[in-house]
Amino acid sequence: MSIEQLYRTRAKELLSSGEVKMVIGYGAGSNKERRRPLFITSAEECDKLVLDSACISNLSGYLLTEGLLSDEKRVAVFLRPEGVRALNVLAAEAQLDTAQIVIIGFDSPKGELKALEGSSVEEFTALITALKEITPETAGEEQLAKIEKMSPEERFLFWQEEFSKCIKCYACRQACPMCYCRRCIVDSNQPQWVNTSSHTLGNFEWNIVRAFHLSGRCVECGNCDRACPVNIPLRLINRKMAEEVLNSFNHFAGTSKTQEPVLASFKKDDSETFIL
Amino acid sequence: MSKIGVFICHCGENIGAKVDCTRLASTLGDHPGVASSIEYKYFCSDPGQESVKKAIRDNNLTGVVVAACSPRMHEATFRKACAEAGLNPYMCEIANIREQCSWVHNDNDKATDKAIDIVRSMVEKVKRNNNLQPIEVPVTRRALVIGGGIAGIQAALDIANAGQEVVLVEREPSLGGHMAQLSETFPTLDCSQCIMTPRMVEAAQHPKIRLLTYAEIESVDGYIGNFQVKVRLKARYVNKSTCTGCGECITKCPSKKISSEFDCGIGKRTAIYTPFAQAVPNIPVIDKNSCTYFKNGKCKICVKTCPLDCIDFEMQDEFEDLEIGAIVVATGFQVQNNAMYGEYGFGKYQDVITGLQFERLASASGPTGGKVQRPSDGKEPETVVFIQCAGSRDPSKGVKYCSKICCMYTAKHAMLYAHKVHGGKSKIFYMDIRAAGKGYDEFTRRAIEEDEAGYLRGRVSKVWLENGKLMVRGVDTLLGKPVEIAADMVVLATAMVAQPDAKEFAKTIGIGYDEYGFFNEAHLKLRPVESSTAGIFLAGACQSPKDIPDSVAQASASASKVLALFSKEKLEREPVIAVNNESTCAGCWGCVLACPYGAIEKKDIMDRSGKLIKRVASVNPGLCQGCGTCVTFCRSNSIDLAGFTEKQIFAEVMGL
Repeated sequence: MSIEQLYRTRAKELLSSGEVKMVIGYGAGSNKERRRPLFITSAEECDKLVLDSACISNLSGYLLTEGLLSDEKRVAVFLRPEGVRALNVLAAEAQLDTAQIVIIGFDSPKGELKALEGSSVEEFTALITALKEITPETAGEEQLAKIEKMSPEERFLFWQEEFSKCIKCYACRQACPMCYCRRCIVDSNQPQWVNTSSHTLGNFEWNIVRAFHLSGRCVECGNCDRACPVNIPLRLINRKMAEEVLNSFNHFAGTSKTQEPVLASFKKDDSETFIL
Repeated sequence: MSKIGVFICHCGENIGAKVDCTRLASTLGDHPGVASSIEYKYFCSDPGQESVKKAIRDNNLTGVVVAACSPRMHEATFRKACAEAGLNPYMCEIANIREQCSWVHNDNDKATDKAIDIVRSMVEKVKRNNNLQPIEVPVTRRALVIGGGIAGIQAALDIANAGQEVVLVEREPSLGGHMAQLSETFPTLDCSQCIMTPRMVEAAQHPKIRLLTYAEIESVDGYIGNFQVKVRLKARYVNKSTCTGCGECITKCPSKKISSEFDCGIGKRTAIYTPFAQAVPNIPVIDKNSCTYFKNGKCKICVKTCPLDCIDFEMQDEFEDLEIGAIVVATGFQVQNNAMYGEYGFGKYQDVITGLQFERLASASGPTGGKVQRPSDGKEPETVVFIQCAGSRDPSKGVKYCSKICCMYTAKHAMLYAHKVHGGKSKIFYMDIRAAGKGYDEFTRRAIEEDEAGYLRGRVSKVWLENGKLMVRGVDTLLGKPVEIAADMVVLATAMVAQPDAKEFAKTIGIGYDEYGFFNEAHLKLRPVESSTAGIFLAGACQSPKDIPDSVAQASASASKVLALFSKEKLEREPVIAVNNESTCAGCWGCVLACPYGAIEKKDIMDRSGKLIKRVASVNPGLCQGCGTCVTFCRSNSIDLAGFTEKQIFAEVMGL
């Protein structure tokens, strides 16, 4: 039986037994490369579920839909390893209770689909810990190396160029599971710290604020990068911030559901060369 | 509509000579929302303050900006004046055009332009100020003194004698600190223990002082007037309540060759021990690392010896929580390890010792009973070379600062040596003789003139052993000649350094420290005994190298600060506290974790039927110190700081 078949059956069982009230998975998209999120509440619909290597978006963000988890019933969700990490971060930030989530885990390294054992976040701890040790593969590895070699002036020009494309549609924010604030800082206009018009200053402000808000939290699922309609390589910024946080504080986002947020916590042996 | 009054102070020539105050006043007078803009020579003077009050009443002002010196100087003055005129004091702000403008610029025109910007920016802020009411918090009238050396004992006694409760915590088994180790003290040559031990006994017997020896601070939470302190009482393995201090166990303990910390390694002690004969409390402790029973599981001779069954090998560390109103930190210093000076041979030659080791040699309670003898062979040294600044004032290998006490104690050592070994020759290599203090210069002169201390101005380059003598090669810069002295003993005036764990400790209790690990005072000149954390005071050598008179004086000064704090039942606090907007709060609890004062709690918001709608952060105004850490952390900008709201800061920036 294919993994897709296996997971369809599993979804059916979960729904018909009443163990979960909903399964969040992937359905067919407009073409073979695109997959849509599917929200299934009855066993009959489970045959619509699709699972292949094109299922790349991180579905964990949908769990935070207002009211979805407030009845304390359980929800199953299709997740890649970075999706499980996202669950841990969200649980650490008190946005959800992982006991309510049934994970249907999968991964597709080098395009080959494989099922992942386990249905609770704790069962993925070993896998995530192993991820911390290896350098994650990034689509823009070459580009990243190129940016690292640039002088600060060149780098500034590079990002100025990239950010000049930004149309402030905030698709990155909407796609990101970590952007769950009820009111985003850009939507606060008393005072309006971040300029909403699409000029250099406003574009820098928005993208830098977002990079800082994600540092130590981003699991590099790539949702923002794929959502960006003007193709700003947002993933590169998040990669860089993740690297900084790992090197400075040995912090890898989403290793456990009780992990303390790196920028709000303090350890006595933290390096503090920046404090005078 | 705002009616802001702008008051431009000349501060004599301080501001007036650089800033064109007339232009400043007229420009601000035209600024929207400004109802009155006047200049005066000294607004802090009585007539100056009166004119502010008059302007408030005459113009029904809604806010006041005083353009003058730093708010650290006169903010309180002008806020009080505003309150007297019926305005909420928090509607008054200071625009600093002295330290931040006139004092640092030369070009009058540009300085005036900048002053206009500074004042305008503050006017924009004041337009958005709100009336605030001060917060009252209760004060726990119980002080914690950390460190049982002379500074800690003095502070504890002063506070206790004023009728307030004190908990005195010392991490060693006995009170006493470094002063108990000294032989005699400069400049009077009275015996250190003779003047120290009565204080130790007094502290131990004082009904208002609770003594916790062999104890360490685990954590400090809370804030001024309301600290929660957790203390670890280390296991002594001897029952404190039944032990009479008879000393039988110490006499019988078979492990007798343990290097004594109190004697700086030149004496020995047993595994069950009191550091010295007059220890307070006189209750031994078992050194777990050296005890035969703890190492091999056999021995227990002390258990068999003890007539009162006080020994308990099963004893565990205990923890105690204390409610404390104020803290005096008197954790003292250490002497620098001189092993890094290979050229002096410390650690290589037994007869090269530190000043503190010499103190133990010269002390009647020391391992030689007060006889000056070489550690190597017990012979009386005929020539002793003292090397000053062995570590101090040496930016390359030691520390940059002057340890302050070494000139005096080296002169004292030379005198003690002359008194104890008649005919003994002492040679002192020095850089400068720093003897500022009452009776100090007279003391060093006495060492030179009456006790024939031979001072050589210069440094030592090498010490080596030749034919049983320690050869000291140095230079006499006053003669301009190299010198070589064959000595029997070399004493290094080692630098005073911070305790090795001082930085760690500072982080535990939440105070600042300098590059060396000495604790920072709030202001070197005007607030020398306060730390930058309200309610925590400093005494003794933990702040900087100090001698006994200075340590005692600072201890009494911190005690007076503590007593001033305890003189009121309630403490009035600035209402600059964080406020959370519950409708936008995402409940991520980052602020709860980030808050250094534990002032943010989780709060459930319910609907009418008691169903949980959401959970948000809630700031406890009694605990909040207004540091703003939560504000910077909050991603959704839900938390704001009263008196420094985002709106105010934004207006201030945009006003520039």
